[in-house]
Amino acid sequence: MSGGLRRILHIDMDAFYASVEQRDDPSLKGRPVAVGGQPDRRGVVAAASYEARTFGVRSAMSMAKAVRLCPSLVIVRPDFSRYKAASDAVFALFREVTPLVEPLSLDEAYLDVTENAWNEPFAVNVARRLKAGIREATALTASAGAAPNKFLAKIASGWKKPDGLTVISPERVEPFLQRLPVDALRGVGPVTAGKLRARGIERLVDVRTIDVDQLRETVGSLADWLIQLSYGVDERPVTPHRETKSSGSETTYAEDLTDVARMRRELAEMAADAAAWLARRRLFARTVVIKVRYSDFTTVTRSHSALPTQNADALVTRALELLTRTEAGGRPVRLLGVSVHNLVDPDARSPGPPRLPFSD
Amino acid sequence: MELVVRKNDLLRELQLFQGIVERKNTIPILANVLIEAKGEEVKFLATDLEVGLRSRCAASVAKGGSLTLPAKKFYEIIKSLPETDVRITEEKGAVKVAADRFDSRIQTLPREDFPALPESAGAQATTIPRAALKEMVGKTQFAITGEDTRYFLNGALFVLKPDSMSLVATDGHRLALVTAPRTGGETDPDEIKAILPKKTLSELSRLLAEGDGDIRYERGENHLFFDVGNRLLISRMIDGQFPAYERVIPKGNDKHIEFERDRLSNAVKRVALLSNERSRAVKFHIDKGKVAVTSSSPELGEAHETLLVDYSGTPMQICFNAQYVLDFLAAVTTDVVALDLKDEVSQAVMRPVGAEGYDYTYVIMPMRV
Repeated sequence: MSGGLRRILHIDMDAFYASVEQRDDPSLKGRPVAVGGQPDRRGVVAAASYEARTFGVRSAMSMAKAVRLCPSLVIVRPDFSRYKAASDAVFALFREVTPLVEPLSLDEAYLDVTENAWNEPFAVNVARRLKAGIREATALTASAGAAPNKFLAKIASGWKKPDGLTVISPERVEPFLQRLPVDALRGVGPVTAGKLRARGIERLVDVRTIDVDQLRETVGSLADWLIQLSYGVDERPVTPHRETKSSGSETTYAEDLTDVARMRRELAEMAADAAAWLARRRLFARTVVIKVRYSDFTTVTRSHSALPTQNADALVTRALELLTRTEAGGRPVRLLGVSVHNLVDPDARSPGPPRLPFSD
Repeated sequence: MELVVRKNDLLRELQLFQGIVERKNTIPILANVLIEAKGEEVKFLATDLEVGLRSRCAASVAKGGSLTLPAKKFYEIIKSLPETDVRITEEKGAVKVAADRFDSRIQTLPREDFPALPESAGAQATTIPRAALKEMVGKTQFAITGEDTRYFLNGALFVLKPDSMSLVATDGHRLALVTAPRTGGETDPDEIKAILPKKTLSELSRLLAEGDGDIRYERGENHLFFDVGNRLLISRMIDGQFPAYERVIPKGNDKHIEFERDRLSNAVKRVALLSNERSRAVKFHIDKGKVAVTSSSPELGEAHETLLVDYSGTPMQICFNAQYVLDFLAAVTTDVVALDLKDEVSQAVMRPVGAEGYDYTYVIMPMRV
């Protein structure tokens, strides 16, 4: 099938954690539910039910803010063992259809169903059957997108939610792209979108017409990727068992930084982002690495390892201490970066002697 | 800064910091102790960003100020001095430490690089009886795993209720739980739970080893504070959810056997010498009136030792990692211990018989026979 047209699904469980809670506790049905930590403990919304979303409650929002938006909000403490059980059931279904399943999180995956165990020629039929299977196995709903590649499949699955199914067949790719605003893309946040708008780029297809060098100046290394996507091209394969080894961000500053207080603020923000990323992935990191590039382009990295954590305060503290081990401030800095490594998955089971049955 | 302090006062405090400072030395300032002189005392602070310790001792301060010194070197120097007064003086980017005819200059690191540690609010401190806390730490800390992908097992769960407190630790294969009653907690909120890092427990047991008086405990946003005498241990909490430990403590174990602790301990130690070196498996053959502890390993040979017990239930066999049994037997102090079983695949429970002032429950997952 190499070189042929691929059939990719992106399947995303609807308000997953919150839906599991509403399923398991009927008194929560129809009520605004947020799964997450308590507002007085600086808790964060891990998932919000659709009822809560109508009040503007979103995941990753602070619980304190969520309660302000929706005073009748029911806060439920997360119970990952039940989410994991539901997720396992869903992924077991996926893997019955194809071995090419790429999990993005507990509740989201790409599937390459170009060839599938059901011999269904149409991806839409595979999606329909999977959605029915998910409903039967878990009493939960999912939204699916079917398209010739991952990028389009993901956008399609978000098109109609909950319980949606959106298909972008090859002949509909171009009209679909024509309507697509540039900030619908993953990796294009509000800041990048703002920069693109300033260049007159509102829709993704607008990048086709802009000068490449200009685009590079605006969004850096994202430029080539955006151009590819604007033609609906995304050759990334669906990779099963992709293991994440690290995550991080770095920023090159328009003007070199000399103020250490400013550098500390920048690092703190990047470390907090890394913590949020870890929390989303349900991972913990042992090692924090900072990267400092001085104005003369010499680059140093400093790392610190300790107990695995996803706590923002802990990661920020460690990142800031590492800055004292550089010459930042004494020398101007053009780039700062923070990344987390040696990731730990608390759900991973190692083989060995029998374990105490904490959950079964 | 310029001060004079008695050698023994200084040494007693510096000793406590040796476990606190970071050994890996990836951030040099974390190997240093911050020294602040003011009024009639000198204060010390060190941290590895996970656990911190504040302490103080009396000093005669000629000139106040603060500086940092490498905790280990400083301690070694003070330890080697005769019982006398020590003079510490800041001098052109270095620190002079002198006593009698000894004189030294030690390199320092900028005080500004020293991390800020959270302060306890001091308002809602809870009082914990020292003796009970000591039992809790000593009888659970060995069950914490050092290296596990399940981060939350790198610590012990502290549960504070109005009328009781518990510490529970597990490495996934065995679990140690100590619960002690407490009074005067009526004003506390319902229940406080926090996961304490392994290092916090070992530093806490060091602080609890000498002295008396109760401990003041406080929980901040990310940190816990233990005020032990004049010393304050500041510990980060471990993130995440501790496993549902109540779930693995069996209730229906109907086979009860009591052992003399020393005899069981010696038998298991001897027999384990010929157990498989990796699994350390020893088998308990339980029969009317006796338990035979056996081991065998294809490369080494086999061993057995019979203990006479009061037992009249159905015969059965069960297999344990010898180390798990020995860890428990080393932690308890009573003459008699009890083993409660259900069958060869379900969790076994060990308890001291006749322990006073605390309940100790030790759960072991058996190995496959």
